[in-house]
Amino acid sequence: MAPASGMSRALRLGIVIAIGALVVVLVLAFRRDPHDIRTGTVGKPAAAFTVQKLDGSGALALDEARGKVTVVNFFASWCIPCKEENPALVRTYERYRSSDVVFLGVLYQDSRDSGLQYVRDNGVTWPTGSDDDGRVAFAYGVFGIPETYFIGADGVIAGRHIGPIDETTLVNAIDTLRAQAKK
Amino acid sequence: MTRSRAIIVIALVAVALALAWSARPRAETQTERVDRITSELRCVVCQGLSVKDSPSESARQMKEIVVQRVAEGRTDDQIRDEFRANYGDWVVLAPSLASWSGVVWLLPILAVLAGLAFAWRWTRERSVPLPEAPPAQLAALRERVAREESLDLPVDAS
Repeated sequence: MAPASGMSRALRLGIVIAIGALVVVLVLAFRRDPHDIRTGTVGKPAAAFTVQKLDGSGALALDEARGKVTVVNFFASWCIPCKEENPALVRTYERYRSSDVVFLGVLYQDSRDSGLQYVRDNGVTWPTGSDDDGRVAFAYGVFGIPETYFIGADGVIAGRHIGPIDETTLVNAIDTLRAQAKK
Repeated sequence: MTRSRAIIVIALVAVALALAWSARPRAETQTERVDRITSELRCVVCQGLSVKDSPSESARQMKEIVVQRVAEGRTDDQIRDEFRANYGDWVVLAPSLASWSGVVWLLPILAVLAGLAFAWRWTRERSVPLPEAPPAQLAALRERVAREESLDLPVDAS
């Protein structure tokens, strides 16, 4: 009888350990903020890009913002969450408009005409360009839009936000990067 | 050798030749290489689909990037590393053994080992010999069997 009870003890212990391991894995997985999924681009120099401006007035290059805190927002006219976050972007842009903070909009998987109509209808007055072949989104590791990247004055991607962003998050990120740039 | 045996031998040789022919080393075309690489990369906007299998626009653009990198002469590792650099290890469908996610490769092995250990202990338990009856009890039982056999009792057919 002793081996049988020993066996059942071992089995019970194994089941408890397996369930415990499963719980730990699930807790670790769900603890992660889905707005901040880690990818390879955060903490690395922002990839240089040049895209055609939506209004057809020439090229829009990241290099133009070199040495400045830069907010790069990926959006599209068909993206409902992009419309949801747009008022926050507009307010934040107006707040920093006269400062050295640069806002750039990158149209993602959308036609230029639709994108141009979107920026006109939604009060987007910062420079916007079209990522026609998706290379800019690939270089930044964009999963889906809206996505917003924060680039420090040193040219390194300091952070990114997946999904609709709010004004508080935008202001906090920009102010943090501006404070770092002044040091 | 009978005729039927000869037919079996010829069939086996034909199958072996066909297998050898299909497994022969040959140069991979660029299209095959693109298909293989994109089948190993995760479509970032899909649920568990590879870039090759996904009909999404993101996957199509990623496939174009792979086509371009292959045309440029990049190695498989260089292409995978570029995707990893932008999207993390997550973008590779089969996790690398060298990363934390490579632990998933160990799970089936651990499961098999646990199953073997369980089966070994279970069979060991079942093979434990029963304790032998005391000699006096055995003698009494033998005597009873002998007595009942000598009585030649009728078999109960109910």
